[in-house]
Amino acid sequence: MSFWRSPRATPYLLLLPAIIVILGVVLVPLLVSFWTSFTGYNLTKPATLFQFVGLRNYQRLLGNDDFWWAFGRTIVFITITLNLEMVLGLGLALLVNKITWGQRTLRTIMMFPMMFSPILVGFQFKYLFNDAVGLINNALFDLGLISQPIPWLVDGALANFSIIVAEIWMSTSVFAILLLAGLMALPKEPIEAARVDGCNPWQVFRHITLPFLMPFVYIAMTIRSLDVARAYDMVRIMTNGGPAGRTELLWTLMTRVGYQNSQMGMANAMGYVSIILSIVFTFYFYRKLVGARTFMGGAQ
Amino acid sequence: MTRNLLNALMATCALVALGGTAQAQEFDYGKFDGYTLKVKLIGGTQYEKLYTRIPEWEALTGAKVEIVSSKNHFDLDREIKQDIASGSITWCVGSNHTSFAPQYGDLYIDLKEMVPQAELDKYVPGTLASAMVDGRLVQLPRVTDVSNLYYRKSLYESAENQAKYKEQFGVDLAPPKTFDEFKQQAIFFAAPPDIYGTAFAGKDEGLTGRFMEILRANGGDMFDENWKPIFNSPEGVAAVQWFKDLYDAKAVPAGTVNYTWDDIGQAMAAGQLAIDLDWPGWAGFFSDPASSKVASELGFAVSPVGTSGKRGGWSGSHSFSVTQQCDNKEAAVSFAVFLTNDESEMMEAQAGNLPTRTKTFIEVVEWFKANDKQHLADMFAVWQQSLSEARTPPLVAQWIEVSNIIWPAVQAAIVGEKTAQEALDGAAAEATVIMQDAGLLQ
Repeated sequence: MSFWRSPRATPYLLLLPAIIVILGVVLVPLLVSFWTSFTGYNLTKPATLFQFVGLRNYQRLLGNDDFWWAFGRTIVFITITLNLEMVLGLGLALLVNKITWGQRTLRTIMMFPMMFSPILVGFQFKYLFNDAVGLINNALFDLGLISQPIPWLVDGALANFSIIVAEIWMSTSVFAILLLAGLMALPKEPIEAARVDGCNPWQVFRHITLPFLMPFVYIAMTIRSLDVARAYDMVRIMTNGGPAGRTELLWTLMTRVGYQNSQMGMANAMGYVSIILSIVFTFYFYRKLVGARTFMGGAQ
Repeated sequence: MTRNLLNALMATCALVALGGTAQAQEFDYGKFDGYTLKVKLIGGTQYEKLYTRIPEWEALTGAKVEIVSSKNHFDLDREIKQDIASGSITWCVGSNHTSFAPQYGDLYIDLKEMVPQAELDKYVPGTLASAMVDGRLVQLPRVTDVSNLYYRKSLYESAENQAKYKEQFGVDLAPPKTFDEFKQQAIFFAAPPDIYGTAFAGKDEGLTGRFMEILRANGGDMFDENWKPIFNSPEGVAAVQWFKDLYDAKAVPAGTVNYTWDDIGQAMAAGQLAIDLDWPGWAGFFSDPASSKVASELGFAVSPVGTSGKRGGWSGSHSFSVTQQCDNKEAAVSFAVFLTNDESEMMEAQAGNLPTRTKTFIEVVEWFKANDKQHLADMFAVWQQSLSEARTPPLVAQWIEVSNIIWPAVQAAIVGEKTAQEALDGAAAEATVIMQDAGLLQ
């Protein structure tokens, strides 16, 4: 009996529709974009799709300071944003977990920032941080805390800070929801036992709650690292990578090169180099996740 | 086959009729019963009023219009580029813009071959000239944008200011005639944080355009006739220095390096700027008491000249184009002409936009005076003067790419990270690579 007619082939046959769809939607575009990174593909000149240029795009990329600054800046951006979101999300989740009356309503309200489109969040914060007519400067003036307007979106450190604030505002609730799910799954017995044994709240948190939550934390970090690395709409609206490229992240650079300059071949080359970033983060968090889960099973 | 023959016959008859009645200036919109014209139009409140005329065209010609896509110009540009890349041009008429048109290659037809000269003569000559790419008329312009000065009359007419200015500079206080005067007055009026002299576009094509305006006003240009970048000339350095001097003197808001048109418009409407070099589309907003604090004291003046005595005249026109792949080009051309004919231009002008037909300027000023909108009548009179010196950015496909190199360089010079000469030299070197890659520069 040939393989395809034997019972062993059944799982593969059943999976075949899904495999075909994934190949069509994921693999084919990946292969095409990989191919274009070796060509001088220009969006408005479709014939350039077949103009093979070898490693020229990658060579130009290696010597391109702007790209590597954007790469480094994106790494720093992801690191700071993820850590702050985790701390704030954890705090929010712990607080919401303690509420007995109206918890569901509060959970829903907590999720509002997530529901905004990133472009709208970008516009909202661009106007909040506007130095002449923005709410924040006006509030600080009225409170007498400043006498000269603060250029939130112009100064190097402040501009990056403003973008981080906007990103944290929008996405902390994702962390909070995921961690809240973890808190709800927390078994009560170990905590009660610890209290009976005389542990104070901090010790309970540090030795029981937190280790149990770590798998949830790492799952949330993995998912969020991919989202934050893709930050584009918000940054484009708020500063478009400026002034003088001091807030340039990978995606504002790639989109400008790919869609405004129509240099799709080069943009795809940038994309493949930045995949390294995503792979590193995902790999790191996944290792930590697996490590945390062994602890959760009580193996230690 | 038969339909094409029929269309050809109709077109010939129309042409013969037009030729026979050379004195009659009426454009024949043709009859296209049962045909559905697919169009991709630019969306947004200021553009959509014109589309209320579409049912009139449908009644006139018997055709139907299907608006396949209606987006802002960024998204529309991306969509059109994707259509070109995938080869799926299933639509006939598209919204276009003189700054974007050169990128689209041979997507659009040469309208000179389909629209009689008598009709083309009704358009403002300079505007029509800027709608050509490589000698082909790829678009019919619908409204033109050219920047001129808005200013706060209360500041200029105040006796105290006039006395102080006269004492400091020895001349009377009046809206600036040159860019140097503009800078001088902006610094004079600035009293941060309550009021600033002016604000300028600090990023994207906005900054490149303003830089180009001052560069040209000083007698320089972006490229020479062989497409070699020459914007790092002394005129270019002087242009960058203009921005930098204003920024260092704090005569502009500190955040101006991140401002786009919206931010500047809001600041002017909030009364925070003394003078603003800006687009005609803002006139309605600035003079409406519901949205602007300076409505009662809004003054108009023509844009300043540079050291060479010329104006920069950065202008662009929104327009309509007809695709090569269109299966009924006569209907498409008829639609494009209809949306830019005398009545359509009058509708656009009444909303405060600069029309593209010569006759409309005179008619609309009369209309404003008759309808108690004296300020708009004044504005049109002032703005029309600057149309003769209006110029577009270089009409070459690489303009946006080159612009994306220039504005970060000018930003770096303004905030002091590089000197103006260093920044422009670096940008010129990168622009040279782009023009070489494109095969334009040998």
